[in-house]
Amino acid sequence: MHRLFFTLLVGMFCWGQTFPQSVQIYPKSILLLGPDSSQQFIVSGLFEGGLEKDITHLVEFSSDDSSIIRMDKTGRIHALQNGKTILKAKMGKTVVQAEVNVQGIEQQPEFQFAKNIGTILTKNGCNGSGCHGGVKGRGGLKLSAGSLYPEDDYEWIVKGGAYQVLTSEVKGDRIPRIDLKQPEKSLILQKATGSIPHGGGRRFKTDSPDYQMILEWVKSGAPYGAAVKKENKVVSLEVFPSTIALEAGGQQRVIVTAHFSDSRKEDFTNQALFASNNKDVATVDDSGLIHAQQLGETAILIRAAGQAISTTVGVIGSPVRNYPKVQSANFIDDHVFEKLRRFRIVPSELSSDSEFLRRICLDLTGTLPPPHRVLEFIQSKDPKKREKLIDLLIGSPEFVDYWTYRFDDVFRVSVNANALPKWSQMYAEWIRDNIETNKPYDQVARERLSAQGYTATSRHFLPYNVIAPVQEIVSEEVRVFFGRRLDCAQCHNHPYETWSQDQFWGMAAFFGRMFKMGDNGVADDYIVFDHPPTQKMGSGDVNADLKVLHPRTKVELKPTLLDGKVVEPVNEKNPRIDLAEWMVNHPYFAEAIVNRMWSHFFGRGIVDPVDDFRSTNPPTHPELLAELAERFRRDHHDLRKLIRLIVTSRTYQLSGATKPENANDRTNYSHAFPRALDAEVLLDAISEVTGVPEIFTIGIPDGKSAPKYSPIGLRAINIRQPETYYSRFLDLYGRPSRLTIPERSGKANLSQALNMLAGPVYNEKVSSEKSRLSRLLQSGKKDTEIIEEFYLAAFSRRPEQKEMSALLELIGQRLDRSEAFRDFVWAVLCSREFAENH
Amino acid sequence: MQIFQNGFTKKRQLRRDFLTVGSLGFLGIHLNQYLKAAETTNSSSTKAKSCILFWLEGGPSQIDTFDPKPSSAFKPISTNVAGIQLSELLPHLSKRMDKMSLIRSMHSKGSDHPQGTHYAITGHEANPVMSFPSIGSIISKEKGGQNGIPPYILVPQWQNNRQYEQYFGSGFLGADYDPMTMPDPNQPDFQVTDMSLPKSLSEQAASGRSSFLDIVDKRYRAASQYAEHAAMDSFSGKAMEMLLNPKVRDAFDLSKEPEKLKERYGKDTVGQSALYARRLVEAGARFVTAAGYHTMAWDTHGENDAGHKNRLCPTFDRTISVLLDDLSERGLLDSTIVVAMGEFGRTPFVNPDRGRDHWPTCWSMAIGGGGIHGGKVVGSSDETGGYITSPATSIGDIYATIYKAFGIDWHKEYDTPIGRPIKIANSLDDETGKPIQEIL
Repeated sequence: MHRLFFTLLVGMFCWGQTFPQSVQIYPKSILLLGPDSSQQFIVSGLFEGGLEKDITHLVEFSSDDSSIIRMDKTGRIHALQNGKTILKAKMGKTVVQAEVNVQGIEQQPEFQFAKNIGTILTKNGCNGSGCHGGVKGRGGLKLSAGSLYPEDDYEWIVKGGAYQVLTSEVKGDRIPRIDLKQPEKSLILQKATGSIPHGGGRRFKTDSPDYQMILEWVKSGAPYGAAVKKENKVVSLEVFPSTIALEAGGQQRVIVTAHFSDSRKEDFTNQALFASNNKDVATVDDSGLIHAQQLGETAILIRAAGQAISTTVGVIGSPVRNYPKVQSANFIDDHVFEKLRRFRIVPSELSSDSEFLRRICLDLTGTLPPPHRVLEFIQSKDPKKREKLIDLLIGSPEFVDYWTYRFDDVFRVSVNANALPKWSQMYAEWIRDNIETNKPYDQVARERLSAQGYTATSRHFLPYNVIAPVQEIVSEEVRVFFGRRLDCAQCHNHPYETWSQDQFWGMAAFFGRMFKMGDNGVADDYIVFDHPPTQKMGSGDVNADLKVLHPRTKVELKPTLLDGKVVEPVNEKNPRIDLAEWMVNHPYFAEAIVNRMWSHFFGRGIVDPVDDFRSTNPPTHPELLAELAERFRRDHHDLRKLIRLIVTSRTYQLSGATKPENANDRTNYSHAFPRALDAEVLLDAISEVTGVPEIFTIGIPDGKSAPKYSPIGLRAINIRQPETYYSRFLDLYGRPSRLTIPERSGKANLSQALNMLAGPVYNEKVSSEKSRLSRLLQSGKKDTEIIEEFYLAAFSRRPEQKEMSALLELIGQRLDRSEAFRDFVWAVLCSREFAENH
Repeated sequence: MQIFQNGFTKKRQLRRDFLTVGSLGFLGIHLNQYLKAAETTNSSSTKAKSCILFWLEGGPSQIDTFDPKPSSAFKPISTNVAGIQLSELLPHLSKRMDKMSLIRSMHSKGSDHPQGTHYAITGHEANPVMSFPSIGSIISKEKGGQNGIPPYILVPQWQNNRQYEQYFGSGFLGADYDPMTMPDPNQPDFQVTDMSLPKSLSEQAASGRSSFLDIVDKRYRAASQYAEHAAMDSFSGKAMEMLLNPKVRDAFDLSKEPEKLKERYGKDTVGQSALYARRLVEAGARFVTAAGYHTMAWDTHGENDAGHKNRLCPTFDRTISVLLDDLSERGLLDSTIVVAMGEFGRTPFVNPDRGRDHWPTCWSMAIGGGGIHGGKVVGSSDETGGYITSPATSIGDIYATIYKAFGIDWHKEYDTPIGRPIKIANSLDDETGKPIQEIL
């Protein structure tokens, strides 16, 4: 009753004032193969205001020949007989049609464990990574995630046993999950129907087709059936639509299509498992029907046949009256503004000159503009002044300092207990040189990945004066250059991705011939070299049998690329040269770096975290990411060009001041989002504004020997090795030691709050005799002049009239003028407007 | 330097295997399942409120300390617990053996200091793509602070090898669970920065400054929306409270300790750090690492015997004994776990420099207090002290024991930001650590 009423209401709504302007059907044509084949259709209407809605449930389906196909209410058609026909969908007077071709109806269905049973396991969530598909399975039963490895699943179900991380041996008792003598008593059926206690609850009922299928299978002797032929493998999934905008209460059906290795396609919607990342925003049912709940954006994760994919759902607000026309500066804006319009989010205004100046100086050089520069820029009437400033900054020495510092982080420049400072200095100089000469980024990657001998980068592979284990090296290189976390696959097949343990170790094997060569005992002379496979390296050569063994099977591995290509080791060539060449030409490479660079300017990646690309962590703007990557490749991996492209976009130059229509947006770049200054940048800014440079000590003073100091004027961003110069301040604000790939969070903590109130940096710099404040007070400046100078220095703006008068009043109330100003300067440094880039 | 691979395969027999052997088989349950069921409901053993880690950096030689053997240059001596012997280098501790138990079957990973320290303090092997939380951070997270005292404190901070300090940090849990680090309390001008207002600033003035901040930050706060602002404000409020709370300031003021007690602990970094740990625990800290032996004091690659005899054992024996006495006298030992350990042990044989090298294969540590029984020995080694002859004990087992004493569920796993589950008590072979029943 309720439902009928709702349908009627929606129907009236559609037939009433908002009849669709146009109607589309998907797919336009299909081939149905085999007796049980079927295909879901989606009919969508384009409504006034540009919103596309799923109207599949409102249209009337018919076909030219009802002997070939039959239709059900949800818009799914089923093959009946070989032949061709036209499917029609009627909405009022509008009719759209699709071609249907049915073949192979006479084929006998062939049982395949992978297809017939594997699908049931996926569909019912049995092999999800939180259940039996987890690393070690659950309750003694392990299944491969998403039925990626049906041979293993078959063995675990039929014979019992569980997965071991470090060995392929079976541990403990093997309890079969089926019972051939009493098929109904099979554990797999009793557990799944809940007739005996099951941690995962009831998955299906005894009268369900899934139950019947498994029962029949056990009754017929539980065969493995036909193996999946190579050309029959699902290689990828496709989901339609890939982004969805819905109003709250709206619904949308999705279609999942599997692509096979023989380029065949098949509707896999019924074999897929759907899950919403955020059920408050949108829910999804077993058939792939999405229901919008409340404002927000979420991904719907889809798994089938060992593959995973996602679609993004935005639940949008009410239509915006007079949606403004926004000018695009380049293709970045086209993508960003198009999505904002669809999602009914209005972008903020263009930033003010002050806002832009402070932001661009911090983002390109990590340095605040001095007061006279601020005034000069604000007062300039040059219409091209922003572009000119960008070019000036990109060409400045501070740009080199700052971007060297940024790459010191991701490339991990550090000194640790056993390595020599000289090594890390060489490595750091190599990074600086890359930035200074704007070396193409693919060349940077090649040099690092294939480094050997007396080169700076080869030191990177000797972190503890010994070569790091291959599994650590490959995890790091893939994370840095591909933005992907392969490390899960070190011990087990990746739970979310199609990275297998074999692929991981195949990649690791590229680093397996590296060994430490050099003068015994003199650490300076150690270098990394790749041992030739069949050539002796001189006396005392113990490294000729270098091998990388698979941790479970103990089989020796050859260097193998992710795509399966084996690189045979030869004496003449370091195998990592091939690896590097393959990596820099892989699409992942450009995507990963443009995403990483993007995050520097927006506080989040298009894929976020920046180095967690995976199918279940989709980009917010896939087309933008693809075009940025494409442009970057075409520009010969030129980082400066990429930076220029990003910062000249209007998207980057939007104001941080929000509007009611965009205040809640966190993922669509409708306004600039505040980012806490990184430790080093913050400390340099405090030194700059107070006029008191920081002096760092080398090591922590022990009170016994005379402390050693850094050269005067050393800026925090120019400290190459965090180990060398002690700074409690930098540590509190999250300076990483770079022993692991740094992830700076910018989150506030209690120690920072204590430090602001009582710590030496905030207090001593404010009260120093040599400070900017002392100079201004001594030179007899008026209160208004002092206040204005600090506003220009710290915020790159003049104080507003309201602010000025409130401050003058507060200062006037105090007996001690200098003390009042010290408190004012302290407040400037502790304000969020100062401590954030916005 | 010689680095030894873990030659520990044949003799390995894991604790969990040992526990599955039981007489409850006829009930259809394994003994360890039974224990697990019993353990989680048994509240009598959750006495611990705090833990002091007496960190023996560099790795003590087990045969010259907790596991005396004929191959040691030093004789075994009896203790106040019948049947337990210690090295003659620990005469004071031997009179307090009833307060500490010895684990002589430690087996860990990492045969050099960075890797060994990382493993000992996080239970996981170091990895450049993952940063793991230390046990102190986990206990801070699980138990929270008390009386306004920061829950996790490290004293003193390292002078040079600051990477170790990183290992004692919060890893992926975030800065909220990092330890508060202290300067060396043995320094003549010892003062804790950030915990007291600068002399130039009165309390009144400190609160007067905030009226300026209100004006300066008003415009920006109104224009931009950022959840972190609320977090920062709440931290600022808490910080102000701490600074103005005389009890908190008092807790950090080591000069309040009587000179006589300072002398009993020892007027050196080892002694004063331990005293400071006791003072902070008394005030409410949850986990204090007393790291007076920084700069690898116990790393006796040369002259092992002389080092243990002259430099290391006398200070350790003195300070741990006073610490145990002091805690008992104040009624704190029942609620304070004391752990004395390094990152590994040392080789059962000597090198050409009369030193002993790193040995994670088989080593010993001491633990007691906070509901953990003293006067017991867990596990055993062969006649050389170099190989385990009992079920092995892992760092994860030690952690599980400590967690259990605190009433923390040791089976817990934390999800990393990308959803990888990480065990808080990680044992060998990817198993969860098991509390050591003999001492609980």
